[in-house]
Amino acid sequence: MRRALVAITGLAASTTALVVLKAAPGTSQVAQELPAGQAPAAPVPDEPSPDSSAAPTSRAPAATRSPRPERRASSSPTPRPTATGATRTSPTPRTSTAAPRPTVRTVTGPVVSNEFGNVQVQITVSGSRIVDAVAVELPEKTAQSARRSEDVNSRYSGTSGMVVARQGADLDTVSGATATSGSYRQSLQAAIDRARG
Amino acid sequence: MSAATSLRPGLRRVEQIMGTAISLDIADDLPAAELTALADEVFGWLRQVDARFSTYRPDSEVCRFERGELLLSEASADLRRVLERCADLWAATDGFFDAYATGGLDPSGYVKGWAAQVASDRLLAAGAANHCLNAGGDVRVRGRSSTGAPWRVGVRHPWDPSATCLVLAGTDLAVATSGVYERGPHIRDPRRGEPARGLRSVTVVGRDLGLADAYATAALAMGVAGIGWLDRLPVYRHAVITDDARCLHSTDLPLVP
Repeated sequence: MRRALVAITGLAASTTALVVLKAAPGTSQVAQELPAGQAPAAPVPDEPSPDSSAAPTSRAPAATRSPRPERRASSSPTPRPTATGATRTSPTPRTSTAAPRPTVRTVTGPVVSNEFGNVQVQITVSGSRIVDAVAVELPEKTAQSARRSEDVNSRYSGTSGMVVARQGADLDTVSGATATSGSYRQSLQAAIDRARG
Repeated sequence: MSAATSLRPGLRRVEQIMGTAISLDIADDLPAAELTALADEVFGWLRQVDARFSTYRPDSEVCRFERGELLLSEASADLRRVLERCADLWAATDGFFDAYATGGLDPSGYVKGWAAQVASDRLLAAGAANHCLNAGGDVRVRGRSSTGAPWRVGVRHPWDPSATCLVLAGTDLAVATSGVYERGPHIRDPRRGEPARGLRSVTVVGRDLGLADAYATAALAMGVAGIGWLDRLPVYRHAVITDDARCLHSTDLPLVP
């Protein structure tokens, strides 16, 4: 689970980095001063999301594969906007941003496919700043991945004498296929480009 | 995006290069200034490789060569060496490692591992005999970690990013893993032009990270036949996880029980 946290934090951090890069300097704090008008862009719970079946479980693969702000906000220490139901239903008035409210618009990136399905990212732009990035579509196979994880676990232990080792603190490093959330980044990048155009 | 420090001796640093995270852990108890200089050199080299070999940068040496703006005779020694190794690998892997698999020249399957291997070789030559360099999942370790024990390298569980399915330990290892789980079936069977099927992830362990990376990529592209090919590969060891969740590995893989 620690590994998942690191992975999620990493994804959040890289997204933040991208957002910071693409937006004006000093935007790292915008996440905390969201104007109330941003709320509609937050992920709506009843939105038909393909991986909604896997949502209640916090299985690691689903969590890492799903750059959903609500899950990330709940499990990661990064100061991302907590787009929880509470925030949406009773938006706390923020005096600091009340005065000159810039125009808020949402821009949606294209659907980008990968092995697991489709990824589509929507960004919310307030003036010239990106205040949120949300995955509006996520692969449906994440749920299946979680099931297969159980499968491989049961097959490893016993038969070959190998146990699926949980990531321990005594590991120095991990070898794996190059970790990029390429599809997410691609759609995010396209959404940023569209917001500019 | 750098600097992750701790109280133990040595240095740890992470930077985003080549579209991925590259982390360096130098365990030698050297003066801070010297450690910083060594790390600067490593990351400087990797950034330089990225600038010259990236297929995403139109001004990179690889792209200029690909467009015919640069003759082979004008290319840098590094590019000539990389092209040579890619050609050798094409032959050694029966055509399954193919730097032209996507149509144009794309030596990335060799370059990342090679660049990290060169960086590790240079660290060793510069007196940092105990280090661990992880270039987006391709790992080169030498010597011991700051705990005094051999480096422990986990192999990512192909269905669970929060878990490892194998743990290797050693004082001189190159560990490269190719898998279809992160970027989807980006590895193609160059003969049929279709995404490779049958294997979920392939880990190759040896001395040279560039070769290990290329062998892992090639075996993944071979599909199930890659298991037999890996088994016949001299010197390099392997661990394979199939699409139907079986794990096969060399009996003399340096596994931690």
